[in-house]
Amino acid sequence: MAEAVIELQDVRYRYPTGAEALAGVTLAVRPGERVALAGPNGAGKSTLVLAMAGFLWAEGTIRVAGHTLSRGTARDVRRHLGLVFQDADDQLFMPRVRDDVAFGPATMGLDEAEVEARVASALSAVGLEGYADWAPYHLSAGEKRRAALATVLAMQPYVLVLDEPSAGLDPGGRRDLIGLLAGVERTLLVITHDLDLALETCDRTVVMDAGRIVGDGPTADILADPTLAEAHGLEVPHRLRGQGG
Amino acid sequence: MLDHFASRATPVHRLDAAAKTVALLAVVLATVLMVRGRFLGFVPTALALAAYHAVSRTPVAFAVRRLAVISPLALAVVVLFPFLEPGEALWRWPAEGGGLVVTREGLLRAADLLARFVLCSWAALLLLATTPFQDLLQGLARLHVPRVFVTQLAILYRYLWVVLDEAMRMRRARTLRDGGLGPWRLRLRSRAGIIGVLFLRSWDRAERIYRAMAARGFDGTLHTPRRGRMRPADWVFALAAVAGAAAVLMGDRLLYG
Repeated sequence: MAEAVIELQDVRYRYPTGAEALAGVTLAVRPGERVALAGPNGAGKSTLVLAMAGFLWAEGTIRVAGHTLSRGTARDVRRHLGLVFQDADDQLFMPRVRDDVAFGPATMGLDEAEVEARVASALSAVGLEGYADWAPYHLSAGEKRRAALATVLAMQPYVLVLDEPSAGLDPGGRRDLIGLLAGVERTLLVITHDLDLALETCDRTVVMDAGRIVGDGPTADILADPTLAEAHGLEVPHRLRGQGG
Repeated sequence: MLDHFASRATPVHRLDAAAKTVALLAVVLATVLMVRGRFLGFVPTALALAAYHAVSRTPVAFAVRRLAVISPLALAVVVLFPFLEPGEALWRWPAEGGGLVVTREGLLRAADLLARFVLCSWAALLLLATTPFQDLLQGLARLHVPRVFVTQLAILYRYLWVVLDEAMRMRRARTLRDGGLGPWRLRLRSRAGIIGVLFLRSWDRAERIYRAMAARGFDGTLHTPRRGRMRPADWVFALAAVAGAAAVLMGDRLLYG
C-alpha cells in the first residue's frame, strides 16, 4: 500500500478554555483518495485542519507528504497541504484576482514566467479565465469560492483541503463547485456537513463528533446508515433515504 | 469608489502610474516650497492641473465632492489663522480692545494655506481619478516604496469595502429594530457598539487572512511581481512635470525671494 499523504496519530487538542476539541484522532489518507470529513458544528473538523497546518499545536503526530509537522517544518507541510478556507474573502486578500493566484507561486520563489503560467492554468481549471484583472470584491460568492480554489491549485499541492466549500452558495454555485471538485485530479479532503456534496465528490467519508472519529468507510456505506448520520447531527440526502436500511 | 473614473481611456489615463506619481510629488513640492503670501506663484500650477483635469474628463462635481470630504481637516487649521497671526487688526470683538482680533496678515496666511491645500489635494485626487488603484500600487513598487507599505495599502484597499459592507449590514439591522428613531443617547451608544464589534471582527479577519497567507507559504517577505514599464511618453510627462515645477519654484524665488 502506498504511503499515506496525510497521517494523523492520536491527535489531541484542548482549547485554552479547557474544552477538548480533538480527543485522539487517528487517520490516514492515501494518495489519490478523496475523503469527506463530515460532522456537526463543533465536532472539531476545522480545529483538525488548523492543527494539520500547524496553526494550532496539537499533541500527537501529524505527517503530511513525508514531513512530520513541527515548528521547523510547518512551511513545508503547508506548501503540500492546499488549504482553502471557508470565507473566500479571507483567502482573496489582494486587490486583483491575478495577484492573489500569483501569491502562492511567487512566494515559492518561482520565476515570473512560471508564475504567469500557473496563474493562467489555475484560473482556467476553475473556469475563471476572463477574471484575472477583476477585484475580488466584484465577484459573486460562487466565483469567489472558485477563485479561492485557484489560489491553492496554482501551488500544485499534493492534497487539497477544503473547509465547507459549499457553505453560503446558491444551488447553481454549489452545482458548479461539485462539478469542479469532481474533476480535480488530486488527493482531496473536504470538510463539510453537506453529505450530498460528499456523495458526489468523495468515495470515502469520515464522520467526526465531539473530537473523535465515529465512522469511516465508503461514502455510500456511511450514507446507507441513517442512524449513524443522524446520531451525529448529519442529514442523509433525501433521495438516498430508505435504500440502505 | 476611490478610483471610480480611473478606467477611462484618455491620454492621461494611459500614462504610467509611476510617472504620474513623480509628477504629483513635483507639484506638491513646488506648492509647499512657494514663498508665502505671493499668490501669483500658484497660477502656473493651477493652470497645469486644470489642463490635466480637462484632458482626463473627470467630472468637476466629482472632484469638488472629493475635495469637500477631505477639507474639514484643513479648514480646522485655516480658520484659526486669522485670529492667531499678529499684525494689522481688521476686525475685533468686542469692538473696544476686544479679545478676538482678525488680522490682515492672518487672513492672508489663511488664504495662502487654503490655496496650497487645494492645489495639493487637487493634484492627488487627479492622480487617483486617472489611475486604477492597482496600477498605482505597481507604480509605487517600481519607485522603490518599501513593499510592506505597498502591500499594506493593497490590503487596506481590498478590505475597506468588506468592512464597510459589514458596517452597513449592522446599521441596517439596528435601523430595523429602532426604526432610526431611538433617543439620541441610545443611538450614540449603539453606534459605539457597532464600531467596537467592527473592530473585533476586523481583528479576527486579520488573523484569518494571515493564516490564508501563511497557508500559501508566506514567511514575511513579499514577492509581488513588478509590472508596468515607462514608455517615452511617460518619461516626457514625468520630466516635464519636474522641470515645470522647478521652473515655477525658481521663478517664484527670483521674483519674491
